[in-house]
Amino acid sequence: MFELLLSGFGAVFSLNILVLVTLGVAVGIIFGAVPGLTAVMAIALCLPLTFTMGPAAGLSLLVALYIGATSGGLIAAILLKIPGTPSSIATTFDGGPMMDKGEGIKALGVGVVFSFFGTIFSIAALIFIAPWLAKVALSFGPHEYFGIAIFSLTLIATLSSGSMVKGLFAGAIGFAISTVGIAPVDAIRRFTFGLPNLNSGFDLLVVLVGVFAIAEIIKVAEAVRREHKTAVGQVSMRSIRGFGFSLKEFFEQIPNAFRSASIGLGIGILPGVGAGTSNIVAYIAAKKRSKHPERFGKGCIDGIVAPETANNAGIGGAMIPLLTLGIPGDAVTAILLGGFMIHGIQPGPMLFVSQGELVYTIFAALILASVLMLILEFYGLRLFVKLLAVPKHILLPIIMVLCVVGAFGLSSRIFDVWAIVVFGLLGYGFVKGGIPAAPFIIGFILGPMAETNFRRGLMLSDGNFMGFLSSPISGSFLGLAIAVIVWHLWVAFRGQRSKAAEILRT
Amino acid sequence: MDGAKKREVVIGAAMLVIGLAYLYLTTNLPRKAFIDAAFVPYLLAAALCLLGALQLLAAWRQAPTDAKTVATGAGPDYLTVGKTLGLIVGYIAILEWVGFPLATVAYLYLQFLVLTPLEQRVSHGRYLLIAVCAATLIFVVFRHGFDLLLPAGLLDFIE
Repeated sequence: MFELLLSGFGAVFSLNILVLVTLGVAVGIIFGAVPGLTAVMAIALCLPLTFTMGPAAGLSLLVALYIGATSGGLIAAILLKIPGTPSSIATTFDGGPMMDKGEGIKALGVGVVFSFFGTIFSIAALIFIAPWLAKVALSFGPHEYFGIAIFSLTLIATLSSGSMVKGLFAGAIGFAISTVGIAPVDAIRRFTFGLPNLNSGFDLLVVLVGVFAIAEIIKVAEAVRREHKTAVGQVSMRSIRGFGFSLKEFFEQIPNAFRSASIGLGIGILPGVGAGTSNIVAYIAAKKRSKHPERFGKGCIDGIVAPETANNAGIGGAMIPLLTLGIPGDAVTAILLGGFMIHGIQPGPMLFVSQGELVYTIFAALILASVLMLILEFYGLRLFVKLLAVPKHILLPIIMVLCVVGAFGLSSRIFDVWAIVVFGLLGYGFVKGGIPAAPFIIGFILGPMAETNFRRGLMLSDGNFMGFLSSPISGSFLGLAIAVIVWHLWVAFRGQRSKAAEILRT
Repeated sequence: MDGAKKREVVIGAAMLVIGLAYLYLTTNLPRKAFIDAAFVPYLLAAALCLLGALQLLAAWRQAPTDAKTVATGAGPDYLTVGKTLGLIVGYIAILEWVGFPLATVAYLYLQFLVLTPLEQRVSHGRYLLIAVCAATLIFVVFRHGFDLLLPAGLLDFIE
């Protein structure tokens, strides 16, 4: 393992990958920091750049963007007092008051250092858990994969914000759209309306860019003309030593950081509940365990350590099911999956056998990106603060053009460009209807996996449906899927709402 | 029927219509056996219709919202949304014929104008300069740096 990791470091320390990772982290931080721009947008827009790169360079760039964008949200959360991304919602609770008290730079320093801590914690877990899980997953057959796909789909649909009915509907509609094209096993054309362009269905990148980037641009157009200039808080780097806080304060936060990192990692592994939830859960846990809960919300560093450690710890967590089973847990890992596929790589247990070196190069790129994030985000703060002031009415049309380039670059077809507009309208419809988009994407990705393994499983068990229940792993996952729905219905029936759900709702 | 309830009813109706439309399309698929290429689409169609009906029922039975809790203030600016969509559709429609550089300059310039906040002054010269620089930079970087043959259209003579 260590030899492979060393070889991975050898690859990422080549000049071109080093430059790409540095740029990726910087661009990611900008996308995380500017409200309205997201990690999904950052990766979607940079995917076309990777078309001509090798897999190691391309995927290193994408994971660097992921790390930068996840962490960058804290800049807006502290300086603008609005979260740059959903993963920094809880950072605003104490980041804003610290900024008001003139401790903005300390808040940013704490946020950056513990973002680094959370990321490294989760990468360590990823490096130790993923190869072991991949070995276990090698023995999985169609029954097991069907069970896992249905469980993941159910979990993301029921745990997404909003109503369960809408979440399940979004998952089902994503699955339905994945049925367009040539059917698995029978090779019959479905829902193609005689259009040859639809024979291979819709490309994942087209769907993602449409639902997340184009829909966001249309949504921003609703209010951008009435927007007032946002006052960006100013911080001075003069007379700042280290990261703006003492070593004593760092060591005091270690228990909080470990607890929050564990929460972030655990939640990150689960499909559907990523950093958007884990930062709030970690904040609530830190407040409950604190000797001074009354200080929370008034500007204490515990309230920054918890969400920032947890949201970044979700990175390694979300990569575990992606790399070992090929199952993305959220929209960002879904687009990373698209990045893998563009380079002809299918994540899953076989990846560790056939492309071991590449897997460890990705691990090395994650570690390198974390270190660069620590340095760039804090010491390049003045530059990022300036970029917060770039007007949206200039930025968004340019992003729209880059989306068009990305879609066209997939197969040099205008058809894909039209498709992003159609999916953009669908995504906008989801926003207006309060329907979560994440289950739609996961349904679109896991749909073909579920259908193909369902058909193969039935063929293996001579058409006997009991094959799915008699396999212990498949039976357990299907049982868990039913339990999740029943539990959710029970909670809805009793009208209970968790604190985290309440914060997310408001 | 108050606004929030009406909205949820409309969403439920739309969900049901989508489910029924998918069911109709599924019935046109050729059948070979009970478990065939149409089996999963039938399951999905049934699920979509059921979820649509559940949403409709839940919305119908929803208690009216307290008038005091309904948010007030300016609603969404659908005129700008409409103009933005029109520009995007127009941009894609002319992309191949006019070519990426010219179509992008026109799109960016017009889109900047449409999205300029009411309290800010429109700066035609600056907008045009940004549009030309952005379109040129993206075209050159992708065409020559990443070998992506973006359509040149009317400017087909440029290398």
